[in-house]
Amino acid sequence: MLLNIIVIVLRETLEASILISVMLSVGRHYRLGISWLFIALMAGLIGALFYALNLGSISDMFDYMGQEVVNASLQYTIYFLLLMVCVAQYHGSSKCLRYLPMLMGSAVALAIVREGGELVVFYSGFLQGGANFLNAATSGFIGLAIGMSAGALCYYALAALSSLQVRKTHIILLCFIAGGMVLQATQLLIQADWIPAYEAIWDSNWLLPESSITGQIAYAVFGYEATPSLLELIVYLSAILLMLGLVLLRRKLAADPSLNVEK
Amino acid sequence: MTRFYKPIFTILFLFFATAAYAEKPVITITIRDHLFYPSEVEVPANQKFKLLVINEDATPEEFESYELNREKVILGKRKGVIFVGPLKPGVYPFFGEFNMSTAQGKLIAK
Repeated sequence: MLLNIIVIVLRETLEASILISVMLSVGRHYRLGISWLFIALMAGLIGALFYALNLGSISDMFDYMGQEVVNASLQYTIYFLLLMVCVAQYHGSSKCLRYLPMLMGSAVALAIVREGGELVVFYSGFLQGGANFLNAATSGFIGLAIGMSAGALCYYALAALSSLQVRKTHIILLCFIAGGMVLQATQLLIQADWIPAYEAIWDSNWLLPESSITGQIAYAVFGYEATPSLLELIVYLSAILLMLGLVLLRRKLAADPSLNVEK
Repeated sequence: MTRFYKPIFTILFLFFATAAYAEKPVITITIRDHLFYPSEVEVPANQKFKLLVINEDATPEEFESYELNREKVILGKRKGVIFVGPLKPGVYPFFGEFNMSTAQGKLIAK
């Protein structure tokens, strides 16, 4: 029971934690301070509470598909924000960097709404039941601590890179995280029957079971899916390639003044 | 401009209307005292169906399955709809994430 709770909290924390650590590293690279993170955390927590309190009415929207639609919208929005975070870094002028804290903060806040909302609902069950809340809270705290340690590990691994390598690493990591967001959102719309479901094209559970801890980490970081359909694979790859493509295009425009229409 | 929008809206409307009104079998599962009833459910293979999960407990539950790629929170005293399939014949375990030690079940696609 206690182990279950640690795993539940860890699963929900991991994704946000990794995202926050990469964002913090980007912020560190451009010396943006960390006040944006505090605002994002506050906004995210308030949003998560609001989401959890209204989950009943959210769930009943769109013929009982409200949860899927709202969660998918949150994740598609995070993808868009991460794309902007990557492109803004290659603008070539410092003007665009001013928007980074706002973009990163919004992405973090939305990720916390998505994952934190479910945790609030989970814990509300213990409050109603009355029993074991303290037990559950302690286990949850351990899960949270493990999740945050993973984030810290990721942050310091990035901090060890040279400033030349770190920007590229950020972009690659963010592309995969964002691709994972799009994949998860698309799966939710398949679950809601808004997007057609197709058969899985492979099953890599023998190699890396999705339910294992490593599988869960892979799911949280880059949207690992052991049994993807062709549609899911195409959506995932297109999301990553679109993001990489736009970054490369932006870099080319910034490097060549004759192509840069804004100057 | 309307002559461009009209056909687009018609196609979109038809797309969603067909998706919404296509008849799909409904399979009902009830959650009571953190258990699934029935815990083994026979479902049609190679066909999409609607899983209606009714939570009779006062506490929330999350219906989850790695094999089905599904996860959905169902609040206490409420119901949720999850579209599943088409599935190949086989056994697909699912569980209630908030009460994993008791809430276990499987879909058997035939």
